[in-house]
Amino acid sequence: MKFNWIIGGEAGFGIMTTGLTFSKIVSRSGYHLLDYVEYPSLIRGGHNAYKVTIDSEPVHALKETVDVLVCLNKATFELHKHELTSDSVVVYDNEEFEIEKGFKEIHVPFKKILREEQGQSIMKNTIALGASIATVGGDLQMLVDMIESQFKKKGEQVVAYNKLFVKRGYDSVVQNYKKLCRPVIAPNPKPNEQLVMTGNDAFALGAVIADCKFYCSYPMTPSSSVLTTLASWQQKAQMTVRHAEDEIAVINSAIGASHGGVRASVGTSGGGFALMVEAISLAGIAETPIVVFLSQRPGPATGMPTWTEQGDLLFAVHAGHGEFPKIVLTPGDVEEMIRLTAEAFDLADIYQTPVIVMSDMFLSEAHSTVSSTDVNGLFSTMKPNRGKTVMNPTDRPYLRYKVSDDGVSERLIPGAKGHFYQANSYEHGEDGHTSETAEDRKAQVEKRNRKQLTYLKHHFKMPTIYGELKSAQTVLVCWGSLKGVCLEVLKEQKDIAVIHFTHTYPLDQKRLQALFNNAAKYVLVEQNSTSQLGQLLRQQAGINIEKSILRYDGRPMTASEIINQIC
Amino acid sequence: MLAKKRKFSGHTPTWCPGCGDWAIGGAIKEALANQDLDPSGVGVVFGIGCSGNMNDFLNAYAYHALHGRAIPTAVGLKLANHSMPTLVIAGDGDTYGEGGNHFFHACRGNHDLTIIVHDNGVYGLTTGQVAPTALKGTISKSTPTGIIERSVSPLAFAISQGATFVAQSFAGDIPHMREMIELGMKHKGLSLVNVLQPCVTFNRVNTYQYYLKKSYRVGADYDPSSYAGALVKAIEMDEEKFPLGVIYQTASQPYHEQVPAYQQDKPLVQIPRISTLHDLVEEFR
Repeated sequence: MKFNWIIGGEAGFGIMTTGLTFSKIVSRSGYHLLDYVEYPSLIRGGHNAYKVTIDSEPVHALKETVDVLVCLNKATFELHKHELTSDSVVVYDNEEFEIEKGFKEIHVPFKKILREEQGQSIMKNTIALGASIATVGGDLQMLVDMIESQFKKKGEQVVAYNKLFVKRGYDSVVQNYKKLCRPVIAPNPKPNEQLVMTGNDAFALGAVIADCKFYCSYPMTPSSSVLTTLASWQQKAQMTVRHAEDEIAVINSAIGASHGGVRASVGTSGGGFALMVEAISLAGIAETPIVVFLSQRPGPATGMPTWTEQGDLLFAVHAGHGEFPKIVLTPGDVEEMIRLTAEAFDLADIYQTPVIVMSDMFLSEAHSTVSSTDVNGLFSTMKPNRGKTVMNPTDRPYLRYKVSDDGVSERLIPGAKGHFYQANSYEHGEDGHTSETAEDRKAQVEKRNRKQLTYLKHHFKMPTIYGELKSAQTVLVCWGSLKGVCLEVLKEQKDIAVIHFTHTYPLDQKRLQALFNNAAKYVLVEQNSTSQLGQLLRQQAGINIEKSILRYDGRPMTASEIINQIC
Repeated sequence: MLAKKRKFSGHTPTWCPGCGDWAIGGAIKEALANQDLDPSGVGVVFGIGCSGNMNDFLNAYAYHALHGRAIPTAVGLKLANHSMPTLVIAGDGDTYGEGGNHFFHACRGNHDLTIIVHDNGVYGLTTGQVAPTALKGTISKSTPTGIIERSVSPLAFAISQGATFVAQSFAGDIPHMREMIELGMKHKGLSLVNVLQPCVTFNRVNTYQYYLKKSYRVGADYDPSSYAGALVKAIEMDEEKFPLGVIYQTASQPYHEQVPAYQQDKPLVQIPRISTLHDLVEEFR
């Protein structure tokens, strides 16, 4: 049974840390979760809410009603009361404010505890964490252990201080509200092998798994935590991470590093990606592998930085002037993000062209559980496939852009003795020298284009089908992070199937059309206002889907709004 | 020496007869040959313009980058393989105009690159519009009533933003250019060699005669280690006085030696994939 916990309060007072600690306790107790933070684009002021949906099986979508609402201020209650039911428990301090009747109440004397223990107001979070763990039947010792490791570096006094507040919060609930506590996360005796991570964490980890040695970025919400995570791993992962002066420098540096022979990647959101587009085209003609992590937020321009949208699919697909092959991958969840990121580096090397891995604020920032056995397994089984990247060329003289049947030429890592060549942003002949002859132009355009055909033959993956496509009356068609909410609909409704795209560009028209021949009602489900996957399917595969369910207010799509529109 | 130099010769250049690029190209090859390098041992990133066209005339492990972006491309190349000396060959429009932001930050970072700028005051390849180095009032196709902006002061800018080697030379003096390029390449950290280069086709002001008259070599008594002194020297350019030689030099650790994964004898490209994910994965438990 899904269970929903929310903590809300003023921004800048530690809600994020508290929420993540709660999520980790849920995971360590042996349960699955999906969490999501709503916050304005401010450092302080405004409202933060951290929502955690808990279940004994993997969670695809957030639960829409709230079981426990922890209010650190009155605004939290006012903003979330529409999500409450008569069974919901509201945790608050009745010395601070009053709330409407009609819900179950747990009074935690935040103010009194802070007064008695002479705590700063930020410790309110810590009390709330203890109270929350009690309310959902968690293990206090587990929380205490976690606090110890979290604050170890700051000294014993800080550890003891935090423990004190956690315990006060826990005790105040257990002693006075035993009846309202539910064993939602009663520790599961099975050994716990779960990790709690966001889509951004997953990209960072996938990049390390793939042996990415150079990551360059300029901070931009919601992609920034990839930069900060990888920056903190530079020694452990033996890589170089550079925060460059702007996104143009970011991608050109990464292209330079890739030319130097290391796997290189960049990360950004729509606005930063717009600045990178000229260099995407450079990577296309110079045939330099590059992996771009593009985490979308609502645009245009600065848009709504801390909210979610899938508004950049067609932009990514069409990014770059001139004609050249490009691959766009759109993982649907954290597990797919790790796997497809690792795959993206292989594809970039194999096809020597840009590969874009797309995310959005929801996937980038929501935590969910993944199996550490699977992650470690991927690391040990994945052997980076560098395609035709060589340390020494097969033929002499070496021809960097030698015309080949599959469109790919040997890429020599600079440094081999007795050779040299240039990678060229101008059109060129096979040896890399600038050429404007009609013959060279045609030969190189056709060679580059052939890479796309080779990809479709060898590495394109058909969309994943969930449910029974043959018998379904309604087929939901989605890409990227909308997978979760569509799977939720599949769980709740009969006669549904879901088609989810991960290898979203280029598309294989012939093979795809077979999936769209059924008599069922096909419905596009997208987090944008113009149904961009629908447009792409028409353009790339001649598939026309009339009906779409679209959301573009920055808030993640819910299962109930899909159900309401298909029934 | 001649044989060593010839190894660097690619296609026959397409520059205009009398263009300063011929001499700069020759000086670069001499500087490389003089250091016993061969084309397999040098990384060069070219900008876009007449200078960048040298990509076809100079043999090396090269990347012909985007206009304005040669510097960041070279920054990445150097970080991937710090064992390879890395040059940037670009024009004044490329370096001080389109790529000004990158130049500024590359100086701050003290990246171990030698940036050779062909400073000719015009955009030759697009037939003669003003470059940011053009003197205020210069009339060109894009500024028919004279350019309103004053010219950039490249040496002073580089010095003040953290470049650790700043030199100026003149395309009419091959031995001097070769010497400046060699000194720049031997210097650890960012070296700028700004080369005053007549464009015989589109620049009627900054001619060979003009530079012969207005440039001079800094004397043996000049001290390039003084930051303040170097700035005073560098801004002479604003008054159309062009000092030639090493204007500023100071010792400072280059960027690549300060990155956390740096290994002196093992460039990034040779560092193997890590053997376990354990430490990283534990963070997420």
